[in-house]
Amino acid sequence: MKQTIHSKRMQESYLKVKHPSGLTLLLYPMEGFSSAYAMLTTDYGSVDMAFRTDAGADFTRIPAGTAHFLEHKMFENEDGDAFAKYAATGASANAFTSFDKTSYLFGCADHFEESLRILLEFVTTPYFTKQTVDKEQGIIGQEIKMYDDNPDWRVFFNLLKAMYVHHPISVDIAGTVESIAQITADSLYETYRTFYNLHNMTLAVAGSFSPDAVIRIADEILKPAPKLWLERERVQEPDQVRQKRIEQKFPVAAPMFCLGLKVCPADAKTNMVGSVINEIVNEVLAGDASPLYRRLYDSGLINTTFDCEADSGRDFAALIFSGESKDPDRTAEAILREIERVQKEGIDPAAFERGKKAVYGRYVRMLNRPDSIANVMTGTYFSGLDLYDLLDTAASSTIEQAQKRLIEDYRTEYAALSVIKPLEER
Amino acid sequence: MSNHLKRMKIGEGVYFTAITDPKFKSNRISVNLLLPLDEQTAANRAIVPSVLRLRYRDCPDFTQLNEKLDDLYGAVVDADVRKYGAYQIINLSVQTLDDRYAIEPTPLVQECANLACGMLFDPYLEKGLFSEEDVRLEKQNLIDTIESEFNDKREYAINRCISTMFGDSPLAVKKYGTRERAQEITAQSATDAYRELLRRSAVEILFIGSGDPSVAQQVFAGRFAKTERDPIVYEASLPISSATEVKTVREDIDIAQGKLVMGFRTGDTSSPDQVNAMKMMVALYGGTPFSRLFKNVREKLSLCYYCAARYDKASGMMMVDSGVETGNEQKAQEEILRQLALVQQGDFDQEELDSTILTIVNALKSTVDTLSGLENWYLTQILSGSEESPLENVEKVSRIDKQKIQKAAAQITLDTVFFLAANKEGQDQ
Repeated sequence: MKQTIHSKRMQESYLKVKHPSGLTLLLYPMEGFSSAYAMLTTDYGSVDMAFRTDAGADFTRIPAGTAHFLEHKMFENEDGDAFAKYAATGASANAFTSFDKTSYLFGCADHFEESLRILLEFVTTPYFTKQTVDKEQGIIGQEIKMYDDNPDWRVFFNLLKAMYVHHPISVDIAGTVESIAQITADSLYETYRTFYNLHNMTLAVAGSFSPDAVIRIADEILKPAPKLWLERERVQEPDQVRQKRIEQKFPVAAPMFCLGLKVCPADAKTNMVGSVINEIVNEVLAGDASPLYRRLYDSGLINTTFDCEADSGRDFAALIFSGESKDPDRTAEAILREIERVQKEGIDPAAFERGKKAVYGRYVRMLNRPDSIANVMTGTYFSGLDLYDLLDTAASSTIEQAQKRLIEDYRTEYAALSVIKPLEER
Repeated sequence: MSNHLKRMKIGEGVYFTAITDPKFKSNRISVNLLLPLDEQTAANRAIVPSVLRLRYRDCPDFTQLNEKLDDLYGAVVDADVRKYGAYQIINLSVQTLDDRYAIEPTPLVQECANLACGMLFDPYLEKGLFSEEDVRLEKQNLIDTIESEFNDKREYAINRCISTMFGDSPLAVKKYGTRERAQEITAQSATDAYRELLRRSAVEILFIGSGDPSVAQQVFAGRFAKTERDPIVYEASLPISSATEVKTVREDIDIAQGKLVMGFRTGDTSSPDQVNAMKMMVALYGGTPFSRLFKNVREKLSLCYYCAARYDKASGMMMVDSGVETGNEQKAQEEILRQLALVQQGDFDQEELDSTILTIVNALKSTVDTLSGLENWYLTQILSGSEESPLENVEKVSRIDKQKIQKAAAQITLDTVFFLAANKEGQDQ
């Protein structure tokens, strides 16, 4: 089943193919490019810690950090590791685990087909033994410690801990040294069989390549996957945050903060469309051209590290303001009061038009790069959208939509503040 | 796309290079002002781009300037400092969509060139000087930036190693300068630094994207013609040095994981062939996920999550950095040196070398697909006195053989070992 997704605005298109194996192919050939980027993704991430494949059965619970551990271990097969295989093609390969996805990717200019074979073969061939699982615990243990030393990471994950009461998004993606100690070869196999079913996966390719070649290689390598019935346990997350403020002392030069507002989540599609509009609202409220930004910058409360984001996923959405600040509490207070002021007085139409153009420009620029195209094709697909929906949402957004989201999503009573303070002696 | 460099002189010590390709949807204009790094002046120059970024004569308000950028489809201005060997580079760049993609027709290239020129040539002045208020604000931001180096412990450890390694040489000077010098900045000293940059610096302007570069070229040529110039002569020569003894420094800090950084000198790399061989040697040793360091220090001994080598040709340095458990640093260091000795002895096979060449070739061929890849490549080429395209470099690196790798490895000498030890006592959570 082949479908062409076309954008009138960009005069470009890509292919969406449902492969007989169950895998969805998203293929975006780009004229004039020398390199290609391919990304194989499963709709499975760190938050998927309880699931069942039979409606009558109990939920299977797996230790925190399993998705990320599995990502590391997929690279190892009985006949050697995938990096060694890529060495023969020159591709630059990697993988990452997020809250709700795990992706395996490579970028290359030559030998695309060989690299694609390697990718499809190693991700469809699990191989775990007690020995290789034990070895990985040492490496991931060091990775966890590396993140423990990263204040940007800490301030963000501390925020999630403060914001969420039950949702597993508050658990570090890599888990803890204790939780990963519980992972075994058997538990990896069970998780693999559930989530690495091809019906639960996509292959996104962008850049210089032939779609026919991708389909041919998929035909050769992929076997039809069994039908999948999968249910993830849904947590009842309240609107309230767990705690309003969280602080950690850390060896840093200046205090840092992350202010988060919990958005009431809907389905993945609504969350994603909403976050595009909320990016515009963020520009109006706290973008470089906003009165708030000016006030905070002039008073030295923020610097150029200041950033605002509208994040969303399968069953969560949040608005996050972050940066360095000599007084995080005053800064957070100023942001919350400004939100309330604009809610009361309404969005300035000129500011809305500027924010809209800025966000639209950002999405068009994203189409410059094969890697970002592959990423966004994947993210939009799993949210029930097409890539161009994001551009069109930005370009056709109205001030009324923005006004509505500002009232519904920016709920200052459901905010939490995470602060990193320097150690006393420095 | 041939990507062969077309670099044109458009003023006294001012060069304009255009790399265009219709596949891009945006354009980037990058202005680079080069002067030799000097501890005394580095901070004063480093503040200049931040002050210029706040406002300019025809747009005398910070918010008004940012509104204008939003109107230009979220045009992005980067105003920052770079370092290349013993040179400090003051950079001002503007990037936005190509005219074709504007929702309403707008001459975006022209607007962005005017904007960059406005910021560079017509700053907002009060009685002939930068505004006291602007300088006060950006001085504090500069001090914060200098201090924030301490936040990222991996970067902090690398910088400590570099400072130890290069001592009093300009190569040791940090791109933002020191806190002490930053504290002395005044509106007068910052304005003087700005004027000196305009008059004395070697200037490289790059235009990369799908638009017509001639508009931007004319705007800049016109403005530089009206500017009094007495530019320095930029020297593209690379340092040649070997270590005589190993300096060892250890610092204890409240963190979870130790950071081991080893700085090596790369000896004589005065010819492009030597540079190419060194680049390949470093990649084989520690630049890929199948390199000696990754395979042995991480995968075999399970000592760390990262252990990688990188090459800085402008400083004549190879650096290895790794995050290891405190207590394991000696073991890691021994293995890192043992692997280097093996490469020096030629204890690697042709397959290993072929794979490394493939990886580098792949990276080179991919650089032409992003604006940032092209900008970094061509700026680095210009600064090292070469006009090679990525594809021309592919030709050369593909011919590197085992002897050349061994010869490059043999030139490497260990200069400095810096270890940031994780001392968890007193960690306050």
